[in-house]
Formats: sequence, structure tokens, C-alpha cells
Amino acid sequence: MTVFCTLAGGGAPAITALQLNAGAIAPESAVLVALLACLLVDLAGEEAASRWVPPICYGGLGTALVLLALQWNAPLEPSFLGSFLADNLAIAFRGVVAASTLLSLLISWRYVERSGTPVGEYAAILLAATLGAMFLCGATDLVSIFISLETLSVSSYLLSGYMKRDARSGEAALKYLLVGSAAAAVFLYGASLLYGLTGGETSLEAVGVALQTSATPVTALALVFVLATVAFKIAAVPFHQWTPDVYEGSPTPVVAFLSVGSKAAGFALALRLLVGCFESFDAQWKVLFTVLAVLSMTLGNVVALAQTSMKRMLAYSSIGQAGFVMIGLVCGTEDGYAAMVLYMAAYLFMNLGAFACIILFSLRTGSDRISDYAGLYQKDPLITLGLSLCLLSLGGIPPMLGFFGKIYLFFAGWADQQYLLVVVGLITSVVSIYYYISVIKMMVVKEPQEASDVVKAYPEISWSLTGMQPLRAALVGCVLVTAIGGILSNPLFTWANSAVAGTPMLQHAIAASESAVAALG
Amino acid sequence: MPASSIDIPLEAYLVLAAILFCTGVWGLINSRNAVRVLMSIELMLNAVNINLMAFSSYIDGQQIRGQVFAIFVITVAAAEAAVGLAILLSLYRNRETVDMERFNLLRW
Amino acid sequence: MTIASVTQLICFVALSLTLVLGALGVVLLPNIVYSAFLLAGVFLSVAGLYLLLNASFVAAAQVLVYVGAVNVLILFAIMLVNKKEAMAEIPGLLLRRVLSGAVCLGLFLLLLRVDLTTPWAVPGPTPLGEDATTLIGIHLFSDYLLPFELASVLLLMAMIGAIVLARRDVYSSDVITGEAADQGLIEKERTPLLLESPPRDTTLLEKV
Repeated sequence: MTVFCTLAGGGAPAITALQLNAGAIAPESAVLVALLACLLVDLAGEEAASRWVPPICYGGLGTALVLLALQWNAPLEPSFLGSFLADNLAIAFRGVVAASTLLSLLISWRYVERSGTPVGEYAAILLAATLGAMFLCGATDLVSIFISLETLSVSSYLLSGYMKRDARSGEAALKYLLVGSAAAAVFLYGASLLYGLTGGETSLEAVGVALQTSATPVTALALVFVLATVAFKIAAVPFHQWTPDVYEGSPTPVVAFLSVGSKAAGFALALRLLVGCFESFDAQWKVLFTVLAVLSMTLGNVVALAQTSMKRMLAYSSIGQAGFVMIGLVCGTEDGYAAMVLYMAAYLFMNLGAFACIILFSLRTGSDRISDYAGLYQKDPLITLGLSLCLLSLGGIPPMLGFFGKIYLFFAGWADQQYLLVVVGLITSVVSIYYYISVIKMMVVKEPQEASDVVKAYPEISWSLTGMQPLRAALVGCVLVTAIGGILSNPLFTWANSAVAGTPMLQHAIAASESAVAALG
Repeated sequence: MPASSIDIPLEAYLVLAAILFCTGVWGLINSRNAVRVLMSIELMLNAVNINLMAFSSYIDGQQIRGQVFAIFVITVAAAEAAVGLAILLSLYRNRETVDMERFNLLRW
Repeated sequence: MTIASVTQLICFVALSLTLVLGALGVVLLPNIVYSAFLLAGVFLSVAGLYLLLNASFVAAAQVLVYVGAVNVLILFAIMLVNKKEAMAEIPGLLLRRVLSGAVCLGLFLLLLRVDLTTPWAVPGPTPLGEDATTLIGIHLFSDYLLPFELASVLLLMAMIGAIVLARRDVYSSDVITGEAADQGLIEKERTPLLLESPPRDTTLLEKV
């Protein structure tokens, strides 16, 4: 496919017959078609929507995942005249995003219908957020990054305010919107400085070249501004203030998406900006990110100890988990990047499994307090088992999937001599195991008479309602992958390593840092 | 007249944008009315646009990518304002207030 | 100095003054309605600056979108939420304002230093002038095609989402089971603040 541009006026650029490579965004197109189909079906009324929207979404996201798998290791061509690049890194992160949306949708149907909110629009907005996040993973141009970031953000604001009769949901949405828009404005200010520095280019490649030769104050400022936005998106301390509030107030399935999909897109953006673009400021941003990682791991895990609400505890623990992933980013070695990809994939399953369990519990009891889980194992063994396995995996207990992800991160950090990060990571992991285990202890070891009132009044377990079967499928699927994936994790390791090997940007950075080390030694 | 804008230095526009941006940041931190916070964000986005347009005219006169960027920023700002006011409205129905200090159901 | 450049200088100074004073008014005036009108003034003077920068298309877009749409929207929102409300006094408010003012001043000095010390690549190529509009169109359909298309999705979603959130009606019951709808699923210590509280089992709420 080619674009022909007729030249008009004096100094118009000579863009003739350049390759568009629109095939690179085929997965996104599948999501877009599903989005439009959801909106159209929704016109036929709420009952038609609740019947047809789920299969449409499964179809769209499933097609997207298959198309992504087909793109794997395909010859690399920049598409849309340099706006988008479908390298293996982008494909891996887009896969994580699409899978997280699929799982979040599976666990949300019953919840959305129970709360009396329209299903069609809910699915459409969530798919739009997915679209933004997927484009963000592969965007290689400041304008594309900005627009995809905003598509993701605006849809996320709408989703967090979706329970509009609950004031907490509106409040969470408003806070998220104000902080998020301010972060976007700060990012734009940084981007405008970069645009001026390059002398009129917006592609990341040109920015990277310009940064190698330019003066320090302006680049440092642009770095800080851009870094603040990335840190906001991945909720790194001290840019995390919005996280607990938004996680507490938003509908739980939305939180599930935000904690995995949106965060994965944030990490993809971080890699693309920091590794691809601020390469000449390697030492500076690594120091900054070391600080962010130490703060995130410490604060996230320590504050999670004190939480009484399950969602809020998971919010703080997700801050801590982001801190662990940052270890891989700071390493900058082949193992570091591969460990990041692996941990994001593992986090997808264990976190969404945990969310499926707490959504199921809150659907049955209307409660979210940790103390209400007391004695649950007698009434509902499935939730107890699933939640226990996912939390153990999040804490990094062998032989769960999370253990291998975490050990790989720590190994990469140790090999790159990031001793401070690894030691802090190990200590905070122990802290995190403490609060994860205390939830499990609450569920399992209580005597029948000590069970909470909520559990004593536990309803009959039934899966007959619409939307319960998908929820069960997602729960069982996530728990199985979390439990068995640990033993059979070898394919995942290979996958993560080939994601890094198939990404020229990362290979370039690894080669550069290795040659720097060789020059020193 | 293309060449005549050289009389005013580029830095004048940049400083103007910096003033506008900092005013927006101050308003963002201190406004108690949620609508005013949204206005402050619009001020910050306008500051960015002035930056982009100034660079576009002084440095990138032949390609004017900055103008295209600014158009995208305007588009997104409009979408963000619409969503922000919708959220504010739905929250106002529940809480009957626009005072940021009273949006305290969730702990910061 | 030619007449043209003097006129330009005068225009620039006048527009800058309106811009800065208007922006200060937006954040400082106690009456929010005045702020909103001053915001329109700020938007208009920004559009004027764009005209000085040879960008008539963006100036027109600025007037149409910001003054015509965003500002009117803000005015509508002010009218809809205009209940007189005595904002409770907060201790240490003045201190907070002064402190944040100092922080913003620091940020401004930093930006000023960066703006003034960086050797920008001026003068660049001569500006295009009136051909800019054509070139913007070419850019939107060539190298910025992807963001252009994605922006349409963004606008569609913003529109649909704003309608969903701002319209008053919600389903009062679950479509599938017919039970009363319940948005208090996000449960915690405080009593949920629902407009029309659905019947709830009160025993569940008393337990801490």
C-alpha cells in the first residue's frame, strides 16, 4: 500500500510513494471493529446488548491475539511513515494488554449488569482504552505517543466514573482526570522542548539523535518532565498518589484492567522513551529510576500491610510490584529486559486471578473487607483456593509463576551489580509475603464459629446467571496458569528472551552498554 | 509577510509560555473549585501550544510539524474538557458540591 | 524600524499583557464566572499570537474550538453547578498558597533559564505563511495519519462517555435477573452515598 501526495504550494515536502505498512496495525483494527460492533449492537436495546456484546468482544480480542502471534518475528518495517513500529517488544506488550482486556471483560459482565449500567458502552469504552494502550506500546513518534496516551487515559477516566450513582466512583474519576490531565500537560511541555531541540522533528529517532549533542539544562528538564509522565502511568512512588484512591473508588473490573493493561502500556512507553530516546542520558535516568524503584517497593509493600480493604491492599501491592519490574528496566541487560517482559506476563495472570476472586466474593456478599473473608474455605473452596494461589504467586512463593518471574528479575539485577535494588527487593518481598499470607490465614485457619457474619450468611453457590460462567472460566484459567505456569515456565522464558532478541532498539542499547563496560574494563 | 516575525525573538514567546504554564500549575494546586482546576489545566495546555507554535514558526518554518502537533493538542483538550465536565456534573449530582476539599470520601 | 515591525511589536506586547493578566485573573479572582470570561480572553489573545506567528489556520481552530466550544462548555458547567456554597475555611490556606507560589516561581525561574540559555537553532528556514494550511492537510494524511485516525476514536469515545456519565437515567434493575441494581459493590467501611439507596441488608454494614 502506498500513499501518494500531490504537492501543493512552495515548500511542501516531497513525500511520494512511501510505504504505509498498514498491516502492522491489523490487531488494533480487529479491536476497533469489535468496538464499533458493540456500539451498533447496543442500539438494539439493553437485552440484545447483554446477549451479543460479549461474543463480539471475545471475537475481536481473540482475533487481535491471533494476529499478534502471526506478527511475531516478522520482518521489521516502520509503518505509517514512522509513527508505529511492530517489533517483538511491542507485540509482547500489546499481547499482554489485549489479554488483560479479555480477562477483565470476562470478569466484568455480571458486575456491570448487577450495577445497572449499560453493558454496550462499558465494553466499547474498555476496548477504546485497549486500543490506546496497544498503540502506545508501538508508537515511535511524539504525536502518536501523545494521542494514544490520551485515548488510554480519557477512556480510563470514563471507566473509573462509570458507577455514576456512587459518589466514590465519581470522585475517583475526577481525581484521576485532574491528575492525569496535569501529567499530560507536563509531558507535552517536555515534548515541545524536545521538538524545539530537534529543530522540527517529532520522531523518537530524531529526538534521540538530537539529544546526543545538545546542552544539558534543557535536556535534563525534558527528561524530568517526560519521566514524570511515565512514572505517573506506572504509578511509581512519589507519583502514585492517585493510585489508591482510583483503585478504591473505581469499579473492580476496571481496576483489574488499570492495574495490568494500563501499567503494561506504561512500561512499554518507558522502554521506548528511555532506552530508545534518552540513551545518551543513561546514567541519569537510571539513577532516577533506582530511586523510584526503591521508594515504590518500600512504600507500596509497607503501606499495604495496614490496609483493611482488599482492593486497597491490591492497589498498594501493585505499586510495589511495579517497583520490582523497574529493577529490570534499570539493569539494561538482555536478562533485565526479558525479566520485565516475563514478569508482566506472569503479573497479568496472577493479578487478574486475584481480582476475579475478589469480584466473585463481592458479587456474592457485597463486601470487600479483608476481615470478611474469615473462614471462607468452608463456604467457598474455589475462591479460597484461587485467591490463595494467586496471592502466593504475587508474593513470590515457589513453585508459582510469580516466583520464577521474581527470581529472574533479582538474578538480572544481581548480575548487573544492582545490589541495593536486589536487597531492597528481597526485603520487601518478605514484607509482602507477610500480608499476602495473613489474608490466606484469615480465609483458611479460622474455626467455623470465628467466621465473619458475611461468610456465615454466605449465599448458595450458583453459576447459572448470565456472566457467571465467563467469570468462572477466567478465574479457573488464571489460577491454572499461575499454578502450573511455574512448573512449565521454560516456554515463557524462551518467549521473553526472543521478545528482547527481536527488538533492534533493545539490542542496540545492550550492545552500547556492553561496549561501554568493555571500554572501562 | 513571512520574514517579519523575526523581529520579536523566539525567547519572548517561550518566556510567555513559561509564565502561562506556571500560572496554570499554581491554579491547579490552589483552586478549590473543581471547574477552576479544569481551567488551570487548559491554561497549561495553551502554554504548551504557544511553545509548539513558536518553535514551528522560528525553527521549523518549512515543515510546520509544530502546528500539526498543536492541532492535536487542541483536539485532545476539547475531549478532555468535555469528559471532565461530564464527570464533574455526575459527581455534583451525588455530592452537591464542587469544593475540592470536600471530595474526601477517598483518602488522598 | 519599519512600520510593520513596530505594529507587530505593539501587537505582541498588547497580547502578552492581556494573556498574563487574564491568566492571573483566571486563577485568582474569587468569582468563577469572571474567571471563565477571562479565560475566553486568554484563549483569544493566544489566537492573536498565532496570527503573529503566521499560523492563520491554527488561530482559527483555536477560536472555534477553545472559545467556541471549551469555554462555552465551561460556562454551562458553571451555570449547572452554581449553587451558592460557602467554602469552609481551612487553616493554613494562606501559607499553602504562598508556599506553592514559591514553588511555582522556582519552576518559572528554571524554565526561564532553560528558555534563555539554550542555543535554539534560530533563524530556521523562512516560514511558509499562507501555504501552511495546505501543508497541515498533507501532514495529517501522510506522516500523522495514525494519530489522526486514532484521534477520531478518542473523540468518539469522549462523546459517548460524556453522554453516558452526564445523562440522568440509570437502569433501576438488573436486566438479567430483575433484582434492584446495586452500585455499592465497591464496599468498605463508610456507608455508600447512593442517590437512591437500594434495599440493603443492614447487618452486613454494621460489621467492621
